[in-house]
Amino acid sequence: MIQHPGVLALLLASGLVSLLLTAAGWQGLQILRGWNLQSGSEGQLDLERRTYLVSTLVANALVIQILSLFLFIFTADGLHTQFVGAMCAAGSLAANAYGYPTLLTKVATCLVAGVWLILHRADTQGYDYPLIRPKYALLLLLVPLVLAETWLQASYLTGLKADVMTSCCGSLFGQGRQGLASELAGLPTRIMQPVFWITFGALMAAGIVLLRTRRGSTVFSLLSLAFLLVSVASLISFFCLYIYELPTHHCPFCLLQREYGFVGYPLYGALLGGAIAGLGVGALAPFRAQKSLVSALPRLQAHLAWSALILALVFTLIVGIWMFLSPLKL
Amino acid sequence: MIELVDVVKTFQAGLATPFTAVDGVNLNVPRGKVTVLKGPSGSGKTTLLTLIGCMARPTSGRIHLHGLPAGTLPQLAKGDSLEITSLPERFLTAIRRRTFGFIFQQFNLVRGISVLENVLLPTYPTGEDHGDAEARAIERLESLGLARHLHASVDRLSGGEAQRVAIARALINDPTVIVADEPTAHLDSKLSEDFMMLMGQFKAAGKTLLITSHDPIVYSSPLADLVVEMRDGRIVAGP
Repeated sequence: MIQHPGVLALLLASGLVSLLLTAAGWQGLQILRGWNLQSGSEGQLDLERRTYLVSTLVANALVIQILSLFLFIFTADGLHTQFVGAMCAAGSLAANAYGYPTLLTKVATCLVAGVWLILHRADTQGYDYPLIRPKYALLLLLVPLVLAETWLQASYLTGLKADVMTSCCGSLFGQGRQGLASELAGLPTRIMQPVFWITFGALMAAGIVLLRTRRGSTVFSLLSLAFLLVSVASLISFFCLYIYELPTHHCPFCLLQREYGFVGYPLYGALLGGAIAGLGVGALAPFRAQKSLVSALPRLQAHLAWSALILALVFTLIVGIWMFLSPLKL
Repeated sequence: MIELVDVVKTFQAGLATPFTAVDGVNLNVPRGKVTVLKGPSGSGKTTLLTLIGCMARPTSGRIHLHGLPAGTLPQLAKGDSLEITSLPERFLTAIRRRTFGFIFQQFNLVRGISVLENVLLPTYPTGEDHGDAEARAIERLESLGLARHLHASVDRLSGGEAQRVAIARALINDPTVIVADEPTAHLDSKLSEDFMMLMGQFKAAGKTLLITSHDPIVYSSPLADLVVEMRDGRIVAGP
């Protein structure tokens, strides 16, 4: 294991979050089994008192969990100098078999945690715990995900050894090789460009329809998720080329470096934030008829839809302006 | 109307020395009437009052508010019902501010500030325009005969005057229910009768009054529509 402040912070944070979420998951099981607001029993009143504390703790733990994704990427980028051949986080993550699975699990956890926080926010707007069951059901899905991530991350970080030979990003994201990274890098620009702009246009249109008519929450949610996936693919396929001003460099991690103004952080932040907000709109849709949420939920959905649209626009503006100003023309 | 169903409050529950202060109370407090809870010290009157007034939660049981006025909570319409023991804290705060006005045994006035400032205190968290609140506070104080004390420090008031300031403060947010805990405990007979006269005015104005007392001037008053006797946390006589 490499002694690095980021490594220690990540291990500590994931350990604490796992402990908290496991305890909260136990509470969640009790709620799913025994919650009955009609009952005035001692057990029910005890659950009501505890859920307030547990929800607050989980909410704070999940904020740490989401931030830890960015710390993980930042740490992986900072560690690349320790490995032979690594030029950025791409090489660090390839230093052992757990790096990329950890990253993918962290992204999935980040999305689910974001949606949980939105459900929690909506739940606190109602006086009768309107989303208590779906909130804790989602928490029970989140707990194994976080535990898996903690194990993967610990395996990755504790298994890191300095001076091991790893691959550079040019090799990992080079065209004509085996693997998902190479296939993404090899996606033809002439197909990916229209796919990106069509997805962006469809998301904007769905957002406007949703904000005007309050209809189409599920479509908007699916398009938000599609925009995340298409944008990452487009970033690797062609946006990166304009940013690096190199027709063959497809690495999505070099964007996180000083040479490129750390532009990767706002880009990935906007994509993840937008996807979470968009997914939140759909997650809330089934509960709009709840009496205690009838005025709060449409307002919250509108805020989320606006957030998703603005963040998608921010991403598109950054890559679009970079593309426009880049001396590279494909 | 306030409806209590099987309300129990146990202190130190789960510890070696549990104490049940309220034990299985079922009660309907009628709207627009005066209800008096009487009983000796330690009978559970004040604990029951704190449960009804959302200042504590019961160990078990439910308390329902029926026929709510408009604006109690944004999600509720006029006349709706609400179960208050399960409410998350932020909603309890709203109920405490708008539904209940409290008159405490010790008055609990804030020393070192004026009568008017004391009365205005409950209006600050509501975000109401200060000018409107001040005009209403002055009107309340004038109606209670305290016009000349508006800017006096509360430290200089007599017991009766201090209590009337506490009453003005309890009324400032125009609550539907006035909750008074042993309000005549520190007053002589004349002031106690004056207090009950004031309560009569509030009853006439449609307020629901819930008073705990072991003072005969209160529970024997013709104003009392319902007298509930408590002992050892239970209702032993009443409805």
